[in-house]
Amino acid sequence: MLSPVKIWRRQKEIRLILGKKGKIISWTKILTPPPDFKKYAPYAVVLVDFGDGTKAFGQLVDYEDRDLATGKKVKAVLRKIRDSYSEGVIAYGIKFRPI
Amino acid sequence: MSSVIGYYTTKFGELWDKSLFDLVEEAIKGVLENSRLERRQIDAIFFGNMLAGVLENNLHSPSRIAEIIGTNIPIFRVEAACASGGMAFHLANNYLKANPGKTVMVLGGEKMTDYSPEETTEALMSASSGEEQEAGLTFPGLYAVMANYYLEKYGYDEENLAYIGYKNHLHGSLNDRAHFQKKVSVEDVLKSSYVACPLKVLDCSPISDGAAAVIISNDKKIVGRSEKQIQILASEVATDTISLKTRKSLGEILATKIAGDKAFKESKLNRKKINVAELHDCFSIAEILAMEDLGFWEKGEGGRVVKTLVSLYDSGSGLAVNTSGGLKAAGHPVGATGIKQIGEIFLQLTGQAGRRQVKKARCGLTQNVGGSGGTAVVSIFAV
Repeated sequence: MLSPVKIWRRQKEIRLILGKKGKIISWTKILTPPPDFKKYAPYAVVLVDFGDGTKAFGQLVDYEDRDLATGKKVKAVLRKIRDSYSEGVIAYGIKFRPI
Repeated sequence: MSSVIGYYTTKFGELWDKSLFDLVEEAIKGVLENSRLERRQIDAIFFGNMLAGVLENNLHSPSRIAEIIGTNIPIFRVEAACASGGMAFHLANNYLKANPGKTVMVLGGEKMTDYSPEETTEALMSASSGEEQEAGLTFPGLYAVMANYYLEKYGYDEENLAYIGYKNHLHGSLNDRAHFQKKVSVEDVLKSSYVACPLKVLDCSPISDGAAAVIISNDKKIVGRSEKQIQILASEVATDTISLKTRKSLGEILATKIAGDKAFKESKLNRKKINVAELHDCFSIAEILAMEDLGFWEKGEGGRVVKTLVSLYDSGSGLAVNTSGGLKAAGHPVGATGIKQIGEIFLQLTGQAGRRQVKKARCGLTQNVGGSGGTAVVSIFAV
């Protein structure tokens, strides 16, 4: 269960990644998701190397199949991660868009 | 040095009429009977379990086990994700090193099929990083990321992975305790639907219920009296980062490599001496990586060698792998898996493996992995 406080705490890290550009170093497409992600499936998840010694996992959005490949350049964007729980806070986080 | 002197496993599978502690009770009674021991001869119990707290709101299992047995001995629950069983064994072995003349039961059990695949998938993800969870990743997804990296780096495709499912289902067909006892062809594996690309249903271990137990002892009288026994030459643990992204390489499980090197050093055995190995094939790619990381195959050649089926129980190559059917076909009731692996080596080295018996098996190895490689336990045995 993600409490509003937990969502707020995680948002401090999101700020540091937002807007960064990098390259896909590996990927997958999920067809059996956890319950909160069921309505998005199938969805692609990519591991991105920012070239500054840091990496991040995130879903790939606004893409075509040929974009789902190692070496593809992507940019970190802010997107809704999952729907709100009873507290009414929507969790936002990092996803990646091809550039 | 301590010895394994008895083993019992329940059937693994979708056991709807049995609760976690029904399975645990069956394993306790079975292992005491097989090793011809009374419950009062057990000095401590180590219990490997991952999900009872998350899925069933069911913690404090040691006290529950004490109630089943009717005992007041020390009982410890051990959690290390999918390596919970192997870790319980490792700690039990260390407990014996500190306590001469004792006999310990190592139990493992998991109840997973009371929930939907999505709920169980989410519960298992409690063993991954927050970022991985927020990306909507799953364990098949994390291993798929490793698989895609490996296939691309060494120039293989999904067919290379499919031979693991074929081999382990063939072994499972010879094990009456296995979750799946049906053979599948390489084509069946390739035609099965994707779970997380490039991994398909028949590349992935199933969600299973089950419990298993071994008895280990350094009590000379008890070991001397036991009909069947194998020696524990080494049991070593290594850890690594919980996040896959912070690992040195996506093409290896470093924790396996470190634990394996330590275990071989401790056992003073050459790798070529190992005749049977139970490896953590939660996904097809994991068995290939394990063979390389343990030094049985060169890094990168696993995708090619796997197609020669040298690891089949009757290949005569000198090293058979996952004769129980592995996690793939024998099933993967998380906490029980590491114990079943040790039990399979016990059966093989004492000539009790029936139709899947490997000829002249003298030394065996088990490798149990937690998460996407954050924990690894490697143990080595001999007769």
